[in-house]
Amino acid sequence: MSQFQKVAAIALSLSCVVAVAAAADRIYTTPNPAAELKRLFPNAAAFSALTGEPLHFTAYGADPKTTPAAPTLGVAFWTTDLVPQEHGYHGPIHILVGMDMTGTLTGVVVTYNSEPYGYFSVEPPKFAMQFRGKKISDPFRVGGDVDAVSRASISIGSAARAIRDSARLVAKQLLPEAAK
Amino acid sequence: MDPAVDGWREILQPQLLDLGLLAAFMTLALVSFFRKSVALKYVTFVAAVGYLGFTKSSLVSVSDVFRLTDLSVPELKYSLAWYLFMTFVVVTTVLWGRVYCGRVCAFGALTQLMDPIIPRKMRIEIPVRIEKHANQIKYGVLAAVLAYFLITKDVAGPIRYAEPFWMFGLFGTTAMWAGLAVLLVATVFVRNLYCRFLCPVGAALGIVSQVTTVFRIKRWSECNSCKLCEKTCEWGAIRGPLIVKSECVRCDDCERLYMDQKKCPHWLILFKRKGNTAVPSPTLN
Repeated sequence: MSQFQKVAAIALSLSCVVAVAAAADRIYTTPNPAAELKRLFPNAAAFSALTGEPLHFTAYGADPKTTPAAPTLGVAFWTTDLVPQEHGYHGPIHILVGMDMTGTLTGVVVTYNSEPYGYFSVEPPKFAMQFRGKKISDPFRVGGDVDAVSRASISIGSAARAIRDSARLVAKQLLPEAAK
Repeated sequence: MDPAVDGWREILQPQLLDLGLLAAFMTLALVSFFRKSVALKYVTFVAAVGYLGFTKSSLVSVSDVFRLTDLSVPELKYSLAWYLFMTFVVVTTVLWGRVYCGRVCAFGALTQLMDPIIPRKMRIEIPVRIEKHANQIKYGVLAAVLAYFLITKDVAGPIRYAEPFWMFGLFGTTAMWAGLAVLLVATVFVRNLYCRFLCPVGAALGIVSQVTTVFRIKRWSECNSCKLCEKTCEWGAIRGPLIVKSECVRCDDCERLYMDQKKCPHWLILFKRKGNTAVPSPTLN
């Protein structure tokens, strides 16, 4: 077999694989993040569905079905809904962010990422932990108030920006005037 | 509080050091390549392992081949060093072949640094007939991980087991470290085993080299019958008069031989004909 034939054979088999894969395409999302919402708002009695503009969950202190005046504890939202253009090393990093009504983050949960080095950048609990209690006015600077990981700087930078920018967007539209 | 607060200053400043060090590394790699200097090549290896490897984990991964299928790339303005690195890899491959494999890849540099340390008699020379088939394995590995990615969309899974580049992050499971240990022990006996036979990134760059390589290694007419370079080539890239572009990593070993007036038959025959040795220093273009 000549070199050219070999290259052609490889190209042909690769395109067959692409065709098969396109048919078997899968989308990674977490349609019902009940457990994640509970982690962000442990005291919440009920959560709304994902709704509104921008898309968000509302966390209530009491079930609004039985208590019409149920207090709102905060909101939760997906970074991928708010800043879909924000890509890590390989595609968007799916992060659920919780924020109380004063613009302070109650926490973040990284549910899915396709970062090659996700397992030592955005997956460890240590990464998510550092955003709890952060205010939207904080700088979110990697190497400053967000820990740097020199071997995964693109993943960490993207995740920190996604959290910061989505929280600020939501705060601007949903939080009371004083919290903005 | 508006989300868009990053000015150019905030975007560029954190990237300047990485950009500067990468530019310095690229310069070193190209100078060592153009000067065909063995000493500078080893300096490049050490810099590749230390900086690109253990400091930055900047290696081309097969996940970078996955991008060609979903066109997913990092954001340009926040990832300037990455774009510079990838441009360097693609341009050098198109112009000269697998230069990346030969002196930029931190893992390749690591295994090549074993060469001067490990005694020659410990090395096992793979017979040509086996080598010819063994170096096709990497295309199979590439096709397999690409198929796995396309079906599952799982990026991290296949690259943990198909490539050892995670080692520079010093982060792996016991199974991953055990596999790497086996691979490195095998590399003591079979030179650059992973690069030659298994690496899916090398396979992808090999396909590009095979099709493009603009500036090829020139050969003398004597190369048709002489076997000296073929025997010297540690990458199994020379078969008779032919240099297999997909296997050649531009290590310069054969090019240094061509220029050696005491060893290369081209010069020995030339001197014999002319009856003297006062030939101007050769230039190989």
